[in-house]
Amino acid sequence: MDMTFNLNSGWLRAGALATAFAAPLALAAPAVAQEVYPSGDETLDWTIAFGPGGGNDIMARSIIEILNKYDLYPGDIQAENRAGGSGAVGWGYLYGQSGNPYGISTTSGSFVTTPLQADTPWEPEDFTPVALLATDDLVLVVNGDSEIQNIEQFIENAKANPINIGGTGTVNVDFIVPTLFAEKAGFEFDYVSFNSMSEQTTALLSNALDAMVGNPGEILGLIESGDLRPLVFSGQNVPEALEGVPTMGDLGYDIGVSMPRGLILPPDAPEEAQSWWIETMKQVVETPEWAEYIRSNTLTPTVIYGDEFGTFLSNTKNGFGQVLRSVGAIQ
Amino acid sequence: MDIFSDLVMGLTIAISPINILYLLIGAVVGMIVGVIPGFGPSAGLAILLPVTFGMDPIGAIMMLAAIYYGAMYGGTITSILLNTPGESATVASTFDGFPLAKQGRAGPALVMQAVASFVGGTVGVILITILAPMFAQVSRSFGPPEYFLLALMGMLTLIVMIGAQWKLGVISALIGFALGTVGVDLETGQSRYTFGSAELIGGIYFIPIAIGLFGLGELFYAFYSGLHKTGSGGIVEYDKEERFWPTAQDWLSTRITMLRCSVLGFVVGVIPGAGATIASLMAYSTERSLSKNGDNFGKGEMAGLVAPETANNAASSGAMIPLLTLGIPGSASTAVLLAAFLLWGLRPGPLFMEQNPEFAWGLIASMYLGNMALLAISIFAIPLFVQIIKVPYRVLGPCVVVVCALGTFSVHASFVETFLMFGAGIVGFFMRLYGFSAAALVLALVLGPLAEEALRQTMTISRGSFAIFVERPPSLWIIAITIALVVLLPLLNRFGNSSSGKAEKAGQ
Repeated sequence: MDMTFNLNSGWLRAGALATAFAAPLALAAPAVAQEVYPSGDETLDWTIAFGPGGGNDIMARSIIEILNKYDLYPGDIQAENRAGGSGAVGWGYLYGQSGNPYGISTTSGSFVTTPLQADTPWEPEDFTPVALLATDDLVLVVNGDSEIQNIEQFIENAKANPINIGGTGTVNVDFIVPTLFAEKAGFEFDYVSFNSMSEQTTALLSNALDAMVGNPGEILGLIESGDLRPLVFSGQNVPEALEGVPTMGDLGYDIGVSMPRGLILPPDAPEEAQSWWIETMKQVVETPEWAEYIRSNTLTPTVIYGDEFGTFLSNTKNGFGQVLRSVGAIQ
Repeated sequence: MDIFSDLVMGLTIAISPINILYLLIGAVVGMIVGVIPGFGPSAGLAILLPVTFGMDPIGAIMMLAAIYYGAMYGGTITSILLNTPGESATVASTFDGFPLAKQGRAGPALVMQAVASFVGGTVGVILITILAPMFAQVSRSFGPPEYFLLALMGMLTLIVMIGAQWKLGVISALIGFALGTVGVDLETGQSRYTFGSAELIGGIYFIPIAIGLFGLGELFYAFYSGLHKTGSGGIVEYDKEERFWPTAQDWLSTRITMLRCSVLGFVVGVIPGAGATIASLMAYSTERSLSKNGDNFGKGEMAGLVAPETANNAASSGAMIPLLTLGIPGSASTAVLLAAFLLWGLRPGPLFMEQNPEFAWGLIASMYLGNMALLAISIFAIPLFVQIIKVPYRVLGPCVVVVCALGTFSVHASFVETFLMFGAGIVGFFMRLYGFSAAALVLALVLGPLAEEALRQTMTISRGSFAIFVERPPSLWIIAITIALVVLLPLLNRFGNSSSGKAEKAGQ
């Protein structure tokens, strides 16, 4: 459903002041004759391709709060949840605004996986990349009662006995991460796909599963209480709450796959808009509020800008496509 | 003693004026959200979630939780008056609720559903208060084998739904199973029958189908039989003076049902993923097979309305157990509540109640108050709601079409689902005309994918061996309970019937 939240009603008054603040940044971009980007009179149309309360929504609203708090954007920002079709609706809406510098959206895993699954008119590479801000990474856990204490024992056991690993969905990083990890570490496993994190967590707690992968944020409570034992983390840096857990890279099995949480503009957005947003996001990621967002959502801060982010997206897409095609999940 | 002091502490927190205000707002919003077909508690919660940014978490959770269980009160009103379930957990309430209204007993039906909701909700909170740790064990003992057996148990309900014209019933169920195969195959990730549509990746959601089949189907049928030409309502009659309060017989015949279905609903609610919808359907079929008047179910039997209503409210309380004790959401609505916890910087998990006693017990205490408030609001609002039936049908009909369409669209903002709803409406009309079973279709659509996924997960885990179903104690329990319900109880009932008349009094 479409919902409009006007997040800065007091903004029109402050508009003039903020333009003065933002102007030097915009001038850093090649000067364009007609207008300075961004104009305080234009409302920024922020598409959230998922419903309220989800990871994408929280990220978008956190960035908007920071933009408002530090007066980084001169005009009004209007955030709309355009949910549907695993992001196809929202990003399809942004795709339709080709060239418009006042449309913007945040990405998440479905930005890569949905076009692989469905006939979306757009591909991740079509959009103007601004920045990758963080990645969602996974932790491999076993039941707290398990005899397996660490990842070395886990791999050893997996080489000797048939094991299964649970995750959410198949066309998903939950499937791709353990598949690539197992390939590198030299073991085999059966992947058990679930509809939701809660079903797979109870399956592991009930001892139906041997292990599962999941987003650490959702299971930290169970890890803290000792009901689940974390063995290995797929990201580059281990989040605070999982201190002491090795990364796959530490073991020499770096898989180089993660879900991109980034910022995009419509296809063929003007260059000055792209560079304005890159400069602005450089300020956003330095704020304490952003650090708090990263911490409380247990994300891995991974920041790359502009075309490098574009390359990252197409690499991720191709990597996913390859793994999924090899198991027959997609054609 | 410990529990008692915790609860008193919770009450003192819950009872502050500002928190009571939040609670009442939540209760009223919940009722409204429940009344609008399709627009369920999870959508209502998700919309209000951003409002709670910066609110005191305790007041905020009281409000959100009240929306959640309040929707179960509101959802039945349209089930009874218009044969349109307001919410997925109230599909089963149409089976006897609407026939009751047709008999002119809309008033008593609405009062009884409010009371049943209250009993279910309150018994649920009492069970949370005293037995939360014990039930936490139940939630964590459920893996794929147990879900599969549970789905099978639910499918026994199908036999009850199929009814007298069994050939038509079986065809209806098969259509439901077929629709259930649409969407991404969970195991292989391949898309089935999605025709490249991104909106069908997630499968066919049963809410648009249920609204179409029941609500629109009934509406088209009413026009077909010429109701719009008669002056007033016509489908259902209501007479305020004589027909508002339930009769003594209504109370007496349903008191056991209420208690039994409270416990049943609660236990099903505790199991993550099963939820209020399955609880209400299971309660309906259980009561039908236990009742002496089983043949009257579906024709306007009060117990047939009370059973699902008690169960869905008890289940919504039960679903709080995995949320509070494990940090695992059992349903779409509790998933939004979990997101809210995270948003407020709380960390749900087994240590949650220990670390945040004010929050947890404030919430539990507020649920007692919330259920009382909802009972009062419901009873006062009934005379308002029954005005709906006094609206001439030629005016009411188009309004229902608009509300159904808006409600369906509001869930996922999906045009595909809205068209499916209209399509299901036309199919529903013909099903009604030729005696097919819409209930069997919807139930098959709910249970089919659940059973398929759970069985395939189980087979992957057990590497193809069916022994897993008897190796796991929880599985064995479910098998034993199923056998008891299906084989032993009806036998005992029959035996009791023929031998003496005493059982009649107790069992009715």
